[in-house]
Amino acid sequence: MTAPPLNKGELLISLGLIALGTFLLWETRTIAETQGAAQIGPRLFPYLIGCGLTLFGAVLAWQAVAGGWRNVPLDEAHERPDWPAFVIITAGVLLHMAIIGWAGFIIASTLLFVLVARGFGSKRIARDIIIAIVLAIVVFLIFTLALGLSLPKGPFGG
Amino acid sequence: MDTFSALMSGFAVALTLKNLMWGFLGVTLGTAIGVLPGVGPALTIALLLPATAGLDPTGALIMFAGIYYGAMYGGSTTSILLNTPGESATIVTALEGNEMAKRGRAGPALATSAIGSFVAGTIATILLTVMAPIVVDFALKFGPAEYFAVMVLAFTTVSAVLGASAARGLASLFFGLAIGLIGLDSQTGQARFTLGIPELLDGIDVVVVAVGLFAVGETLYIATYLNREEDKLETMKGSIWMSASDWKRSWKPWLRGTALGFPFGTIPAGGAEIPTFLSYAIEKKLSKNSGEFGKGAIEGVAGPEAANNASATGTLVPLLTLGLPTTATAAIILAAFQQWGLQPGPLLFETQPQLIWGLIASMYVGNVILLILNLPLIGIWVKLLEIPRPLLYAGILIFATLGAYGLRNSWFDLALLYVIGVIGFLMRRFDIPVAPVLVGMILGPLAEQQFRRALAISQGDLMIFVSHPISATVFAITVLVLIGPPLYRRLAARRPANP
Repeated sequence: MTAPPLNKGELLISLGLIALGTFLLWETRTIAETQGAAQIGPRLFPYLIGCGLTLFGAVLAWQAVAGGWRNVPLDEAHERPDWPAFVIITAGVLLHMAIIGWAGFIIASTLLFVLVARGFGSKRIARDIIIAIVLAIVVFLIFTLALGLSLPKGPFGG
Repeated sequence: MDTFSALMSGFAVALTLKNLMWGFLGVTLGTAIGVLPGVGPALTIALLLPATAGLDPTGALIMFAGIYYGAMYGGSTTSILLNTPGESATIVTALEGNEMAKRGRAGPALATSAIGSFVAGTIATILLTVMAPIVVDFALKFGPAEYFAVMVLAFTTVSAVLGASAARGLASLFFGLAIGLIGLDSQTGQARFTLGIPELLDGIDVVVVAVGLFAVGETLYIATYLNREEDKLETMKGSIWMSASDWKRSWKPWLRGTALGFPFGTIPAGGAEIPTFLSYAIEKKLSKNSGEFGKGAIEGVAGPEAANNASATGTLVPLLTLGLPTTATAAIILAAFQQWGLQPGPLLFETQPQLIWGLIASMYVGNVILLILNLPLIGIWVKLLEIPRPLLYAGILIFATLGAYGLRNSWFDLALLYVIGVIGFLMRRFDIPVAPVLVGMILGPLAEQQFRRALAISQGDLMIFVSHPISATVFAITVLVLIGPPLYRRLAARRPANP
């Protein structure tokens, strides 16, 4: 029997969990302990959770090098990832984050909508833009007027 | 008689025009999001949390409950017509339901799932009405040690027992617990894991986590891996109504499905997947038409759909009586209670009987509304399935970013939303369950509080968890649940099958 190839993704995630657990244990030392022996202070739970993360990260790391994680369903779709789609949607979300403060909700949401639709392969940009603007305005009005949320208006607001 | 009069006063609350409207809005919204692939009840309720903070809790909670069980009705429509389960609990419905639709029997498949959901939802609500006061009586004896014990049991079952891998489930749970730690310690007011970032002093909001995992993570995953294939939408041909033989073949599976689903919902084992699969297997075995299974047997739709709805209602028993969430949606509903400073549990039945019984009574009403929405009006819901995928997910992300940004108009929450979205993407890609993150994050701080209270009472003596009979029993069950299944598997593997 030949050993299956090492699953790098699984190993990286496991190591990430161990790192997070270790970080928790490290940071726990900076939390000041309360006085009094009978009091259980704010340190115990972080300590336990840090141990848990490290432990299960280690178990998963061991599984990743020893034949892969258990009972992972085989999915052919995983062999053909569409990374450009991932990047376009990421760009949409981050752009929205960067500009919503000064460009306002409607413009930021319109750009987000058009980029996500493009990420999903939409070629009808004119249609997407029109739907995006209408949807953004309707949502803006519902949430600000009817539900009383405050959202940035942007340069055209008033 | 006490329960009966409590329920009647609940109806007085539920039948006011305002609360009827909230209930109607909830089940309508629930049906719509149940139908739409990629949107679930946990995401929807999370998105509505900030917008409802200023409302009357009774009306808002009636709406949230409506969204929860309404989504169970709507999910079946998607499974039957699209073969893409809108809800994880409707995977089994897709097996037979989609086959029926391919053979031009979409109408009866939709009808048996709607009527089955109604039967199961109503019976389960009656059981909830009867059981809740009994559990509350019992839970009044609970002290901090007992609460901590049942919370540990819930953690264990949600993460280690369900799903493909205990290690991945527990890793997911501990990740959620770690998120729950961030912010000010509730007892000493000390900042923990805030890294000096002022935005983190209040902790990470559950809205950001739920929306990041379910909306952003899901969108990234679908776009990256599942966007190549076109969905094939089956059309609704012929009559929606069931024939006499359809009725004859459906009513027993409805009742059996309910009998399976409700108990699975009430024990802290969460999720409707197990009872729906069990119901499918049982119906296949009992049916006289077992040859039809795999080719569109109506029993295979009727049973699992009833099980699915009964278990959703069953989940509300531990949630309302003990404050114990066992599914992602229940965890978000618990967060909703907390947003008004309410803590579900036996005390809430005493301090807020109007709210609790109004909520329960509203579910009787909601099930009737759902039956009307899902039988004659089914054609409208089917239209939702025709929304092109790019527009659907683009719309989802507009609401997702709005939900996160609307919390306090800070770009920091949007950055966090994206980071958690990428984590959700990875979890989906590597088959790590998401529900334990939410249960851990929301229930973790409560568990820590109870733990510290228990030890304050016992003056630091850990024996308090073993010397109290109830908590000792619950811990024994937890250990059994944790080591039982692997031990059984090992023994079964060692002993070759004897006929």
